[in-house]
Formats: sequence, C-alpha cells, structure tokens
Amino acid sequence: MSEHTERPGRGGNAADAEAVRAVLGGDVERYAELVHRYRDRYARYATQLLGSVDAAEDAVQDAFIRAFDQLSQCREPGQFVNWFFLILRNRCLADRRRGKKRSGLDDVGVALMTAPGMASDRVEQREDVYVLQRALMELTEEQREVFALRHVEGWSYEEIAAQTGASMAALKMRMHRAYEGLRQILRKGE
Amino acid sequence: MTKIEEHPLEKDEAFVRLLSTLDRSEVRLSDDLDRRVMAEVRRRAAAREARRGWRWWVAPRDVRLVIRPWMVGAGLAAAAGIVAIVARPQSGNLPASVAQRAESVFVRFELYAPDARSVSLAGSFNRWNAGATPLVRRDGSGLWTVTVPLPPGTAQYGFMVDGQRWVPDPAAPSVDDGFGRRNSVIAVPGEGRTL
Repeated sequence: MSEHTERPGRGGNAADAEAVRAVLGGDVERYAELVHRYRDRYARYATQLLGSVDAAEDAVQDAFIRAFDQLSQCREPGQFVNWFFLILRNRCLADRRRGKKRSGLDDVGVALMTAPGMASDRVEQREDVYVLQRALMELTEEQREVFALRHVEGWSYEEIAAQTGASMAALKMRMHRAYEGLRQILRKGE
Repeated sequence: MTKIEEHPLEKDEAFVRLLSTLDRSEVRLSDDLDRRVMAEVRRRAAAREARRGWRWWVAPRDVRLVIRPWMVGAGLAAAAGIVAIVARPQSGNLPASVAQRAESVFVRFELYAPDARSVSLAGSFNRWNAGATPLVRRDGSGLWTVTVPLPPGTAQYGFMVDGQRWVPDPAAPSVDDGFGRRNSVIAVPGEGRTL
C-alpha cells in the first residue's frame, strides 16, 4: 500500500509556469515536461472513476491533449496541475455518464476501487471486499468521487472543495448522503 | 469555511475495517503515453499553424499589393506584399522548368525596400538557397518583386536583404524557425481553388 498522492497545492510551481509560457510562445516541445511530470499523478483517481487502467490511460491522454488545445485559458500557469485535474475530472465524469446511458449499468468504476489483489486467504476479508464493492456501486458518481478522494487519495475536505470547485455545503451534503447510503446498504447486508 | 464534522460511520469499527480493503496502490500508466500525447500535440500545433496561414490567405482582403509606409525611413524601409496570380501557368514565354509544373500557382512576392542593394527570396520551395531567387527592383521605385510557381500546400519563406539581413514578410503570418528567427508562411491553394 503506498502513500497518498501529493496534495493539491495552491502555491504554484515556477517550473510549470515557465513551461506553460514557453508552449504558449510557440515552443511546443516544452509541453513534454508537463506530460512527464503529471502523467501518473491522477492515474489512480481516474482508474477508480473509470474502472480500468486502460480507460484511465485514455482519459489522461485526452485530458493532456485537451489541456494543450485550451492552454491559453490556463489563467495561472503556475497552477497548471490543478487546472489539468479539472479537465481530467470533467473527462472522467462525462465518460461515466456516457457509459451509464449506453449500458444502463452503474457498476463500472468500482472494481478497481476495492482491491481484488487483496483476495487473501482470509475468507472474511474477501467478503469485506465484496460488501464494500456492492455498496459503492449504489453511490452516484459524485458521491463515489468524493469518497475516493477522501479515503483513497487521502485529501481533506477543504482540499476536495478547493480542487473540485464544490462548496463545502455541497460537499457536506454529498458525503453525508454517501455515508448514509453506505450505512443502509451495509445494514441490509448484515 | 464550514467544517465537515466526522460522520459517525467513520468511527464505526466495521466500517473502518471495510475501508482497509480499499486499493491504494499506485497506478502507473504505460511508458508510451508521453510519446502518444506529444505526437498528437505536434500534429495539432502544425495544423493550427497551417490553419492560421490559410485563414490569413483566404480572408477577404486586397491582396494586390500591401505597402507598409511606416517602414519607410526605418533603415530597411521595407514593406512586402504577395500577389497570387490565379491563372495557370501558360507555357509560351515561361522557362521550361516552370511550364512543366502545371499544378503550380504563380505567386508574386514583393518587398518595398528603397535602400536595399539586393533582395532575394529563400524558402522551403528553393531549399532555403538565398542565391536562387533574386528579386528585381522596379525602375524608379523601391519595390522589389519576383514571381515564382509554387505547388499547392504550405511553404515557409523570408527575404534576404543585402545578402545578410533576414526579413520575414510583415504582411504574412510567421512562425518560429526554432533558431530564433521568424519565417513567413504562405498557403497555396490546390487545383480548382481560387484565392
């Protein structure tokens, strides 16, 4: 089990700012620095939302290309990575909504959140994995996202609010519903 | 900012045990990702440049001659314009090499440089050979011109003044040549297209 991902920063990054300005000035090759620096940062987050590493890789690739297309709209070049996260997040949520409409199912995106690799010898733990997996399936994508950011990425609520643009009130409501939903589902399973 | 209180569930022993089954291992995307992103980024950047050049070229404007009087007296005193002759090359009084290139479009390059002793055209179409395409000064004026056949597509070019000074066309879009210099860009329409 690894450490939580780096927390979203507000201070800005001078190297990012310089690379963004260089790209905007016509030096396209400098974009490779940003890609290399942040390619894996939100890979786990995207994997959790989309259900597979392949889907996450597609989303990250699309997000980088979209970010390049819209780079002139990155108003704070030193905050490139936070801006990039929003683009990736929109891409993931849109993808999930599209997938849901297409299939009518809401069970993608959770398989990776619980750890099949933890299929240990302990029957009890395998059951736990299954129970949580089923429970998470019933959350909305926004609830699942906030749950993942809180409990997998280890972000504080303040960080989630700042990063996703959700108000603390909305976040509070979302988390409350997520927990209540989980509680009811877990009770039913008892 | 409102604080979010800890939900009772977060203190529940069974729930905490469930949370421990969450997969928090790092996810690493394939090594090829950077290459794929950059290939697409380069393609888009090139297409953007071409579109920019094309938009400039097809936008309604008087393309017969563009003169920039503000350049006069500024040492170089240059102004440039490109005039495209839409007619297909006529074989009669043209050099053989030109007549053979039936798909080409004639483009006239002009530079207003009254103080210049020589002006030549160098570009991707003549392998950047500054000696290959000299401009001719019109009698009694500071206007230098040359007409060359260009194949459809995008080309980069610039003027070499007095054999040493690189002057991008101030009336055309330009791109960085990667060595600190600007090259002008022209988009030549294909067959059946008019400017």
